[in-house]
Amino acid sequence: MTERLTLLTIVLMAASTYLTRVLGYLALRKRTLSPRLLAVMDCVPGCVLVSVIAPAFVSEQPANWLALAITLLAASRLPLLPTVIIGIVATGMLRHLLGT
Amino acid sequence: MNSLSTTSATDVASGTKFEAIRGMRASLPVMLGFIPFALVLGAQATQKGFTVLEVPLMTGLNFGGGSEFAAIRLWTSPPQVLLIVAMSLLVNCRHILMGAALVPYLQHLTARQALPALFFMCDESWAMALADARQRAATRISLAYYLGISAGLYLTWVTFTALGATLGPSMGNVEHYGFDMAFTAVFLVLLRGMWRGARACRPWLLSLGVAALSCLFLPGAWYVATGSAAGLLAAIVWGKAS
Repeated sequence: MTERLTLLTIVLMAASTYLTRVLGYLALRKRTLSPRLLAVMDCVPGCVLVSVIAPAFVSEQPANWLALAITLLAASRLPLLPTVIIGIVATGMLRHLLGT
Repeated sequence: MNSLSTTSATDVASGTKFEAIRGMRASLPVMLGFIPFALVLGAQATQKGFTVLEVPLMTGLNFGGGSEFAAIRLWTSPPQVLLIVAMSLLVNCRHILMGAALVPYLQHLTARQALPALFFMCDESWAMALADARQRAATRISLAYYLGISAGLYLTWVTFTALGATLGPSMGNVEHYGFDMAFTAVFLVLLRGMWRGARACRPWLLSLGVAALSCLFLPGAWYVATGSAAGLLAAIVWGKAS
């Protein structure tokens, strides 16, 4: 019984997640988008991305601030892979040195 | 004539292959970030009573990291079906906005092509495909590039959540080694590519501020929804004013 409920939950979760993925597309694909709407949607990716990483900006640990500053600096001038590696290594080392 | 069309067909096929491989390569740094989280999710799920098969079933059907972590946190035996489904909907509601923002870039695709492709839309695949189109000054995303990224990320996520479920509690606490910074790093680089000057990007700053405040004062994953919504509203209002 529990197993069946688990499966049901997983399937319903998947359905609701997929629904969120196609809803925006289905709602707008047949419309002609005005230049103003296009300009607004141009801004959306940045708004979503900064919101997702917002927790990194409100950490209470000095190690995390410093690591974020280093990652920001790396991100402002390096390609993706080196930035990711520098971010991970700096965060790991600073947490080790300064404590979390 | 015949030979001409054959050549162009091969050209298209090799171009597609090249684009898919380019996408897989581009997904490498993000895979690096996915692995530790996937292992942690798999391990946590088995602690909550998931079987080793149920873990890849959930991650393979959902492919939504944030909502899966929320579901595991709320998991009881038997599970509260409605609570967990409602939570997934809330955590993933930003997808609606993301899908809408993709519409202008998907106009070369039929719904039959776009709807299955959207199954793989996560923050990273979406942002990377958009950033790529903008860097090439293209008006459409490259579907093969997007699917290449998606394949890399999807396989990494499902494989390593399953591995985490198998290895389970024998793993140490991988969360504290700094891997959480991988996503911040990925998104910061993508944001740099999307930067259009301080004035055009004011809504980003508002999103960041509202999301940060929500992190401090609201429970759970509300910050994604409040931050995105605030930025969207600001873009509408400031767009009207100018």
